[in-house]
Amino acid sequence: MPIANPGRRLMRHVGLEFVAKKVAGGGHRSTNAALSLTSMIDFLVVTVVFLLMTFSASGEVPQAKGLVIPKAENALDMIDAPIVSVVQRQILVDGAPAGNTNSVIETDRMQRIDELFNMLKAKRELWKQTHPNKDFPGVAMLQIDQNIPAVVVKSVFQTAAFAGFPNVSFMVDKLPQSGAH
Amino acid sequence: MGGVDVGGGGGGKRKSLDSDINMIPMIDLLMVTISFLLITAVWSHMSRINADAQVPGPPRPDVEQEKVEPEKQLHVMMQTEDKFVLVWKQGSTTVDQIDVPRKDVTIHAGNQDVIRFPDLAVKIESEWKAKGQHSNPTDRKLDQAILHTDNKTEFRYLIGVIDAIYQTHRDMNLGSKIEKMPAFNITFAVN
Repeated sequence: MPIANPGRRLMRHVGLEFVAKKVAGGGHRSTNAALSLTSMIDFLVVTVVFLLMTFSASGEVPQAKGLVIPKAENALDMIDAPIVSVVQRQILVDGAPAGNTNSVIETDRMQRIDELFNMLKAKRELWKQTHPNKDFPGVAMLQIDQNIPAVVVKSVFQTAAFAGFPNVSFMVDKLPQSGAH
Repeated sequence: MGGVDVGGGGGGKRKSLDSDINMIPMIDLLMVTISFLLITAVWSHMSRINADAQVPGPPRPDVEQEKVEPEKQLHVMMQTEDKFVLVWKQGSTTVDQIDVPRKDVTIHAGNQDVIRFPDLAVKIESEWKAKGQHSNPTDRKLDQAILHTDNKTEFRYLIGVIDAIYQTHRDMNLGSKIEKMPAFNITFAVN
């Protein structure tokens, strides 16, 4: 009698077909898949390079809660300056309360906002003390909600100018260029 | 393992110049770098639109004041709902006045409506090309635009008009290179 290859005999007594198939190595494809190391490293390197190129060391500009910034196309890059936020009727300078716009809205007249003026003036004096041999740049950033009326915008603008910050910038969300020019 | 050939290949008993990079720490490093960059990434890019309050400095008693002829300034008036009025003034003298029909174009950007005035931008550009005083690239001074608005106008409409004014660009020589810069500097009218 010739000697035959015995073949698989393991778990023959179990009467379940799928178990027998599994043991025999048939049925579905293995759930383990091999990753191509070269492609994976290429992908990781490209991702790292992209993220490094878009990395901003200056960090995120703090945005007051509940404030919707208007969008504009012809905008410039941000610079480091005190941020005056106007949210509803509240005014904040670098996050600290600096008065409100109640009197401006109630009288509907452009006027100086004293609390804001004093706070900005104090910031200016502090800057001059810490930078004795430099010219004060006089730059302030206004972060104003898009629905605030013009009388408040002009009052805050004028107050900043009176307090020694004549170079005022309005913070906007940059729109992509439409190619108009 | 990946191999890196660093050159050489001299004979004798010198140590091999081929070295292996261990893939596991390398992939770990890449993963950690990606995680760090993703966590610290800033996805909202804020920008700014410049305005200048045009505050004159104090007069200097030691310097004799020269009589300078006032420059032409473009006054953009948006007090009425149906039109903009562009007025070129030289001092208190009105040089020219044009009405531009107001067409608000609302575009949707994300979940926000953006107001734009493309017709106004085109008209301001043609006006500046005809009457602007500072167009030479070596001239660092900008033409002045003054925005007149009523008290009730919402800030987003002001930004729409300022954006339209800043659409006019000109070449400016900044020492080493010539760059496109806005042709106007903007401020608000007090009244």
